[in-house]
Amino acid sequence: MSGSAVYALTGITKSYPGVVALDGVDFSVFENEIVGLVGENGAGKSTLMKILIGLVQPDGGTMILRGSPVSLKDPADAIRYGVGMVFQDGTLVPNLTIGENLFLCHENGFEKLGFLSSRAMRKAAQALLRQVKVPDDVDTPVAEVAPAARQMVEIARLLWLSRLYQQRNPILILDEPTTVLTEGERDTLFAILNEIKREASIVLISHRLQEIVENSDRIVILKDGRNVTEVAAASARIDQIEQEMVGHAFSADRYREEEQREPGSREVLRVDGLAKRGFFEPLSFVVREGEIVSLVGLVGSGKEEVCRCLNGLSRADEGSVSLGGRKLTPGSPGDAVASGEGHIPIDRRSEGLALGMSVAENVNLLVLGRLRAGGLVSPSRERKNAEQWIRECRIKTPSAATLCANLSGGNQQKTVIAKWLSSRVKLLILDHPTRGVDVGAKDDIYKLIRRLAQEGIAMVVMCDTLEEDLGLANRMLVMKDGKLVDEVACPPRRKPGPRDIIGLIV
Amino acid sequence: MQRLTFLGAARRWFRRAGISGQLLSLLIVIAIFAIGTKGRFLSAANLQVILSLTAIPAIIAVGLHQVVVLGGIDLSVEGVVALCVVFVGLLLQNKLNTNNVGLWIIPVTLGIGGIAGFVSGVCNTRFRIPSFIATLGMSWILWGLAVYVSQGQTVALLDARFQGIVTGTVLGIPILAIIALALVLLLQAVQDHTRFGRYLYAIGGDEVLARQAGVKVEQIKIIVFTVAGLFYGLSALFLSTRLGSSQAITGNNLLFPAVTAVAVGGVALTGGIGGAKNAALGALIVTALNDGLILMHVNPYAQDAVNGVVLVAAVALTIDRRKLGFIK
Amino acid sequence: MELNERSRTRARRMRTPAILYAVGLLVALVAFFSLGNRNFLSLYNLNTIASYAAILLVVGLGQMCTILVGGIDLSVGGLMSFVAVVFIVSLKVVGYWAYPLCILIGAAFGYLNGNLLTRIRIPSFIATLGTGGIMTSLALLVSPLPVDAPAARYRMLQVVNGAFLGVGNLLVLTVLIFAVFFVILRFTVIGKSIFYVGSNITMSWMSGIDIVKTRNFAFILSGVGASLAAIFLACGQFGGDPTLGRVYVLSSIAAVVVGGTALTGGAGGPVNTLIGAFVLSVMENGMNVIGVNAYFQQSILGAVIVFSVFLTFDRSKISTVK
Repeated sequence: MSGSAVYALTGITKSYPGVVALDGVDFSVFENEIVGLVGENGAGKSTLMKILIGLVQPDGGTMILRGSPVSLKDPADAIRYGVGMVFQDGTLVPNLTIGENLFLCHENGFEKLGFLSSRAMRKAAQALLRQVKVPDDVDTPVAEVAPAARQMVEIARLLWLSRLYQQRNPILILDEPTTVLTEGERDTLFAILNEIKREASIVLISHRLQEIVENSDRIVILKDGRNVTEVAAASARIDQIEQEMVGHAFSADRYREEEQREPGSREVLRVDGLAKRGFFEPLSFVVREGEIVSLVGLVGSGKEEVCRCLNGLSRADEGSVSLGGRKLTPGSPGDAVASGEGHIPIDRRSEGLALGMSVAENVNLLVLGRLRAGGLVSPSRERKNAEQWIRECRIKTPSAATLCANLSGGNQQKTVIAKWLSSRVKLLILDHPTRGVDVGAKDDIYKLIRRLAQEGIAMVVMCDTLEEDLGLANRMLVMKDGKLVDEVACPPRRKPGPRDIIGLIV
Repeated sequence: MQRLTFLGAARRWFRRAGISGQLLSLLIVIAIFAIGTKGRFLSAANLQVILSLTAIPAIIAVGLHQVVVLGGIDLSVEGVVALCVVFVGLLLQNKLNTNNVGLWIIPVTLGIGGIAGFVSGVCNTRFRIPSFIATLGMSWILWGLAVYVSQGQTVALLDARFQGIVTGTVLGIPILAIIALALVLLLQAVQDHTRFGRYLYAIGGDEVLARQAGVKVEQIKIIVFTVAGLFYGLSALFLSTRLGSSQAITGNNLLFPAVTAVAVGGVALTGGIGGAKNAALGALIVTALNDGLILMHVNPYAQDAVNGVVLVAAVALTIDRRKLGFIK
Repeated sequence: MELNERSRTRARRMRTPAILYAVGLLVALVAFFSLGNRNFLSLYNLNTIASYAAILLVVGLGQMCTILVGGIDLSVGGLMSFVAVVFIVSLKVVGYWAYPLCILIGAAFGYLNGNLLTRIRIPSFIATLGTGGIMTSLALLVSPLPVDAPAARYRMLQVVNGAFLGVGNLLVLTVLIFAVFFVILRFTVIGKSIFYVGSNITMSWMSGIDIVKTRNFAFILSGVGASLAAIFLACGQFGGDPTLGRVYVLSSIAAVVVGGTALTGGAGGPVNTLIGAFVLSVMENGMNVIGVNAYFQQSILGAVIVFSVFLTFDRSKISTVK
């Protein structure tokens, strides 16, 4: 780690409507090193990486790669410079074999008179697989290969492509590589990375601070789209890093804490010994009427799957979910809805609304039965219901007949909430309720949430930031690596700070 | 739920088995009809008939299946064949006019088929019209043109040059079957050993990932549609010269057996699975099945019903449900 | 972000022109043909147009339900052929009961198609391609040649062929059928569910809508529409032709799509199909009147369909168009 950087980004800025993702970030990668990149969800890590590989264009700042300024058009462009990323979801085509995936779109070297020499390709592939210690046969379809091995194949491909483009010291970016790995596989991965370090540089993104400290040379910490600091791994302490990761200015009014109420005594939701192999271990908890319970944990903690089981979108392997004393049928969203459960999904466009239909139609979807007069749905009742909830939820729309596709993100979200409110739910699951919503609409949504609690509706929320979780919740359930590890009370005006929680999560 | 797991197990077996599933099915079909017709099914004459009858559907199925591998469907064969056949009738030596283009008819039919396929491909890629509507629409348009150009007439063909090929045999094997086999082997080789083949299956496997990896998706798709059209054009030439006449309705009833052949052969509608050998084997199975039904004097109208059941069953068994999420 | 903007403008562009395009097309065609031939607007010709439009409308309304829910029904042709023949044949045996019998057959067949999609998970265009083929051959099995209605039963055909206060029963019945479809789709819960499911099936499922029941229902309606159209045709022709349905696969899809109902589902409705049916009828009648070759008409029809799909297809819904 000496001399000038292979890849240096300075003053990078990137904004999206309503949110600043990166605000003047500097990031450099030197030769033969492993750089760890840490930060909370929303700190800007993934945006920065996307800019590094050319998937996203920065609004401002400079990028100097191998000594010259660059502007990367797309990831293919980045590969030509020897910069590549291994995504969490994997980019291998599942029905092709390992060998076919390794050389996809770069088979020129193996071509003779238009036909590919399988022998040469197989030999080359085997050599690559040996380097990354993948035991599978070259002709195995990727769909049948274990996730750990698939990741190594992707690394092998990136290394090979760099050699093809004659780029010294390729830069490999690994996004949360260990989430899908077992203990043993993790050790193998880091052993291989250390070997690869001799001819390449690696950027490691992980929420597992232990791993980062043990395996990086240098650790960069981001927060709220800005650099916080950089530490040498050798002298880093985990609690120190945790402190740097969080610690926003914590304003009590933002989440309308004064409106937070004590929950009622009646139990609305009871989760008993719920478990799902591969996702989370047996856990139990209770939510009472008017209570807001926040479910926190990092990616891979299992909290998303817990919510899916609560909704009936996924089936748990053990345990039960009861609503108002009645056990829900697993795997049936219809049963959950009929029992009085609602769900504000994380992706409102594809899961929350029918974009091609009007605001009124979306708002009325769940209560058509109640809007009937003499067996048929009454248009005047439809109109009244829609208008009532548009008013109550402050949905800004030219008319009730406007298509949802034409509303802003915040108003679309309010429409989703209105839809469930109108159906008199007892329990509402909110999955990142203010994602992609501008500040004004966010406040309206917090108001709505407080009102729901006042009316006795129980809620389980998962928010974009720890701060939001803390601000809204009566109680916080902490999950880590598939286990429910702690329960923290969040009384108004005496709320724990994010620093107190972060240690439990990572 | 037991029914579902049996279906699931059968499905898994079919998908893994490459062509062994199809070979087994073929053997079963042969066995059933050999017994049912008291051996007549296996006579040299009948086997020759089966091979001769399989050739043209096989050529069509082989052209069609690549579109299916991409994840689309090509319903244009009837219209393409209709138009090509009509031009054959007008340009080859015939009873109606004095044209006699001889071997030049080959580039003409290939040209018509290829252009039709190319346009379908462009509609699908540039104008983003779903393949089933683009090709269905193409079929209707070309069919109408065919009838218009031919004025609804039937034309008798007099050219002798092609007669030899379409009716002749070599060592008892119909020449058409040999040509079909050669085409199958050629296309299979391209699929297994060229970059084009890999890109084809990459798109079928996951189009988004393939594009990310650098595959020129639009180009490949257009090529695939064009090649399909070329195959349809070729089959039209063989079909009309074998019949000795040309009329617009020659192309009718070609689509259903072709789609059935592709599905039965193990080419999954969801894409990414199945090659030329699958399509050809499927055509063989379907032809053998229908030949057997005829030999056993089964009502010809019932044959369509049998084919319909076979099609639905074949699709049900080979489809990859994981890919489809909510099926439309 | 950018995606939001793009799909907003697309959605706006999509909803407004669909029905205006259809109406505009209709007006333009009527103007064009009446200029080409004075007799085009005669009462007799208008009646011809209306009668054909009625048939297209009835089968089109059924087809529209499957398209609205996001699928398609390619089996209507086979079903119509089958029902036409069975209707005539069963007149001799069960008399007036032939009417409800055939409607029931249509509903049952639709239910089968629906289940192939919802429970066996075969895409509707393959499932209905297959079942359509089966029905086509069943029709021919029942009667390879057109079968005439026995003269003794002619009066039973008066349900359709007769007239009521000077207006042909066919038109009256069609208006009634249109009204029923309209009410179902606009004013019943399951009818409205068809739109929700077609517009966003994932959201509908997550919101607790019974998507199996809804889609099955859409296909049942399609079967009923096709069988009603077949009954009308059989009455008008005083006989059942086992090949009569062949043309109607294309025509029913055309009526739906040309009227502005999107193939992607969730947008459109019975009024669109009404206009579409008239556009088609006017087109065919007009082309005959000014002397366009009958087969060339099919080409033109094909082109019009492709163009209509191009206009109304909601591409923002599908990231990869297959």
